[in-house]
Amino acid sequence: MSEGSNENRPGWAVYPTHAGEPATGGVLGRGERKIDGRGRITGTAVFTDDIQLPRMLHAKFVRSTEAHARILGVDLSAALEIPGVVGYALGEELPKKYGVIPVAQDETAMAIGKVRYIGEPVVCIAALDEETALRAVRAVKVSYERIDAVLTIEDALDPRKPHIHEGSRKPSNILRRVFQEYGDVDRGFADADIIVEDTYSYPGSTHVPLEAHVAVANPEPDGKLTLWSSTQNPHYVHRDVAHVLGMREQDIRLIKPAIGAGYGGKCDPFCTDILAAYLARKLGRPVKIALEREEVFYTHRGRHPTRMWLKMGFKKDGSITAVDFKAWADGGAYASYGVVTSYYLGVFMPLPYTLENYRFESHRLYTNKPPCGPKRGHGAIQPRLALEMHIDRAAQRLGLNPAELRRANCIEPDTETCNGLKVTSVGMKQCIDAVVQASGYEQRRGTLGFGRGLGLAASAYMCGALHPVYQNELSQSSVQLKVDRSGEVTLFSGTADCGQGSIHMLAAVCAERLGIEPSDVRVIEGDTALTPVDLGSYSSRVTFMAGNACIAASDRVRAKLAEAVAAKLGVSAESLVFRGGKVYVADAQERGVSFVDAVWLAEERFGPIGEVGGYKPHKIGSRFRRQSVGPSPAYSFTAQVAEVAVDVETGILTVDKIWVAHDCGRAINRTIVEGQIEGCVYMGVGEALYEEQRYRGGLVSAPSLLEYKVPTIHETPEIETFIVETHDPNGPFGAKEAGEGPQLSTVPAIANALHDAVGIWFTRPPFTPESVLTALARAERSKS
Amino acid sequence: MLPLAHFEYLAPTEAVEASRLLASPDARLVAGGTDLLVSMKHRLFEPRLLVSARRIAEMQGIVPAAGWLSIGASCTLRDVSRHGIVQQRLPALAAACRTVATPTIQAMATLGGNLMLDTRCMYYNQPAGWRASLGYCLKREGSVCHVAPKGRGCYATQAADTVPALWLLGAEAEFVSVSGTRRIRVSDLYREDGMNWLTVRPDEVLTRIHVPLEDRSVAHRKLRTRQAIDYAQVLVAVAAPAQRGEPWSAVVSSVAPRPILVESETAEGLAELSFRGSQPLSTHLASAPWRKKMVRVEVARAVDALLRSHAGSG
Repeated sequence: MSEGSNENRPGWAVYPTHAGEPATGGVLGRGERKIDGRGRITGTAVFTDDIQLPRMLHAKFVRSTEAHARILGVDLSAALEIPGVVGYALGEELPKKYGVIPVAQDETAMAIGKVRYIGEPVVCIAALDEETALRAVRAVKVSYERIDAVLTIEDALDPRKPHIHEGSRKPSNILRRVFQEYGDVDRGFADADIIVEDTYSYPGSTHVPLEAHVAVANPEPDGKLTLWSSTQNPHYVHRDVAHVLGMREQDIRLIKPAIGAGYGGKCDPFCTDILAAYLARKLGRPVKIALEREEVFYTHRGRHPTRMWLKMGFKKDGSITAVDFKAWADGGAYASYGVVTSYYLGVFMPLPYTLENYRFESHRLYTNKPPCGPKRGHGAIQPRLALEMHIDRAAQRLGLNPAELRRANCIEPDTETCNGLKVTSVGMKQCIDAVVQASGYEQRRGTLGFGRGLGLAASAYMCGALHPVYQNELSQSSVQLKVDRSGEVTLFSGTADCGQGSIHMLAAVCAERLGIEPSDVRVIEGDTALTPVDLGSYSSRVTFMAGNACIAASDRVRAKLAEAVAAKLGVSAESLVFRGGKVYVADAQERGVSFVDAVWLAEERFGPIGEVGGYKPHKIGSRFRRQSVGPSPAYSFTAQVAEVAVDVETGILTVDKIWVAHDCGRAINRTIVEGQIEGCVYMGVGEALYEEQRYRGGLVSAPSLLEYKVPTIHETPEIETFIVETHDPNGPFGAKEAGEGPQLSTVPAIANALHDAVGIWFTRPPFTPESVLTALARAERSKS
Repeated sequence: MLPLAHFEYLAPTEAVEASRLLASPDARLVAGGTDLLVSMKHRLFEPRLLVSARRIAEMQGIVPAAGWLSIGASCTLRDVSRHGIVQQRLPALAAACRTVATPTIQAMATLGGNLMLDTRCMYYNQPAGWRASLGYCLKREGSVCHVAPKGRGCYATQAADTVPALWLLGAEAEFVSVSGTRRIRVSDLYREDGMNWLTVRPDEVLTRIHVPLEDRSVAHRKLRTRQAIDYAQVLVAVAAPAQRGEPWSAVVSSVAPRPILVESETAEGLAELSFRGSQPLSTHLASAPWRKKMVRVEVARAVDALLRSHAGSG
């Protein structure tokens, strides 16, 4: 047992958490529909926008039409004369700054004194209905005095440009610079036989959840408040809304209804949450704020457009002698999770290949554009493109097989990387083998003729952050179980299922331990009045952390049931099996009781049955104290092969097929794991082919789903999925994550396939027809 | 969801009554509404009265008559594309209907609506707040065309998917108004002005589209980013000569306010002439130079398709 273990501490998850054990409850590893799936399919699930309350008002925002400007005046007179307008709020009324990352709280609910991006909320107006609120918003006149706008990475690094946030002591618009060095990088390069060096550019993109951000607030007569929010992170919204409104957290009940996806776009507390809560209290009536699609593009928090420089040294045998990496991330007007992004850009580069000498420097910058934040694969997507293309480029120059080069460099299980990441289970080679074999990569690569190609890429990702975003020693996830004489098991957790399947995961983990069916477990989640805290759906943490908390709580219920049944049957508690809705003696199925009877026996013996379980990760001692971002209790691994075709007359790139293998530790529900992997690939294909949040100056070029292109089913390749199970020693039943990691290697696999197809390295996604055609023409010219 | 402004809705049963209602500048005809309502949500126009095409008798049904197929303007694109005669005798029209947006929109949108589709531009087809941030544009509320700031006109493009095929099929559009009935060739329906792109008055109601059943060999091609939802980046129809001595012809659209007709003595020359004859502007996110190149590719591919089908049938 390693240091800081939770063993013997009541109420905490205990290791090992049944990792590697056979699944005795009969639930694990099945492929089945989510217990909450029917509600989504039939339209009966209640989303935030479905909530209607008596006397409810609708509020809309007046948004900045300037990228960077002082607000000279706000004229509300015409708006307030419109019949049906009930009230309004100005930025000055909510001066407290907030943000999930404590060291970078730079945001107010609406602009105060100046605006920092086009689309920033300036005024919020509540009316009897949405159309009236919209008319009122259009009648507001805001006068501005323009300030020189900071729109590009160059602008942000230019000390002559005005500061977007006054009071910054940094010479230009830098939110955070990170520099880390491990080993001896210069010597590593001196030892190298070849050096591969190039620059890459990764575009910004946005999440496109089908549901826009919505909040509904209901003021209560005793001064308390209920707030429904379409958030991935109820806990952080809860904290920040209380902070900005000057309320006690316990006086706000935050409820997360069904969520129409987030992908990281609903991780921050938003103006919708704060203004709905504030106006509800100010006006004494329920208030709903539902964003339009256009506003979701301005709210953004999407992927950072990132410019990168990467230099790698290789020996002739393909081993990596050194990596030097620099990245500049264009972060938009506010910090959001940008401090974390600045680390994620660099800290995962020593995975999954053995590396002793590593240096990186990253800058997260402010610009006058909608704020960037976490999008699926947060910060790790961009550098992965550079790294995986560099591996292929080295293989080409060294005359090595790219798959073999990757396999030879894979880290082994139970290693520590040069930057102090402690890696437990590693299924990297199994993943590479699975996709290489299934795709015929080694036989077919280079043989498909001009215009067709195969490409391979590999990647690794975290399973939750070791350290919480605000300093505390409390549980990062907690689960409470109520079991009563009806036999119904009710599971309460502060988790926020945003479509990834965490409701089903909790039910399945609990059912596996109690020998019942997932559908026998009623999951109540994301309601601060009912559910114990979970930090939220980000950093791919939920299965790992809430799953472990759920095991802890379930095992405590199981222990009581087992003790009571054992006493009744006159056997030892250890000899009992929980399976199929029964509790029985392992070798004698007829000697047992039903689950309901077991609950009766336990309640007779112990009184009402209710148990809690919490999880926080091991304190993993790192050699590097400053490495606060990056360490995770476990890492997932992915490999994929893409097969592409290029129409050489139009430049149109088609992704025909993706083979993807993912080491998720252990699949709790195979159907959900496959769905998450496919979703990751789909999103990666979008970023490879089309997706980019483009700007005209500071104005989002096309804030609509007509012009911001995400793939339809026609452009989605056939996806063949392989689940690799490595039974992580610290994961719940050995499980890790599947919701983000598989996206990392999609774009680089496509880029490497594109090279195989046409012999050109494309270093800037999306690979648009025009960029492909231009590169083909240039290559043709240089040949002749 | 963006709310619609309040409006009145009337559903007359006769075209002439609709025409009377449409004489008011505050009135608009609505058929499927798939484009009109989106534009209204974007506050491109806020009509006080919508006149429905749904119950107007003259606008219904698909009927063959004396060598022509007469298609009611209110027929949905799905009805048109699934009609037996259209499928057998006018396959290019069926294909064009099937490339509009998505199957759900084809089930609502009408053929008449497609012919009368507003011209489109990336600076115009945007929400109200966005256009305010831009400073508006010449076509709506502003004084500058952002596509050609030094030009004098509006370059919003004709983007209706069925127009090039109907043009080359020799289709005619029948309009009814208080001042009578007239038939206009589809090729004469459009003008080189993105703001004022139709040659008919707002109170003229398109009731029927008449397509000659001459078995002309026409190919339709639509180049778009995705194989559903999207408007064309380049839209072409190509017709083979009906008889010896006639030229090959192409209609190129989605590049200018008016579709462009190109004729060539030879099949091989048509693509190059089309390329030279089209000057796409930056009305799309896809760049104008690439779209211009695509005119050549798409016309050449349409010619190939026709030559192959001729070789196959001959």
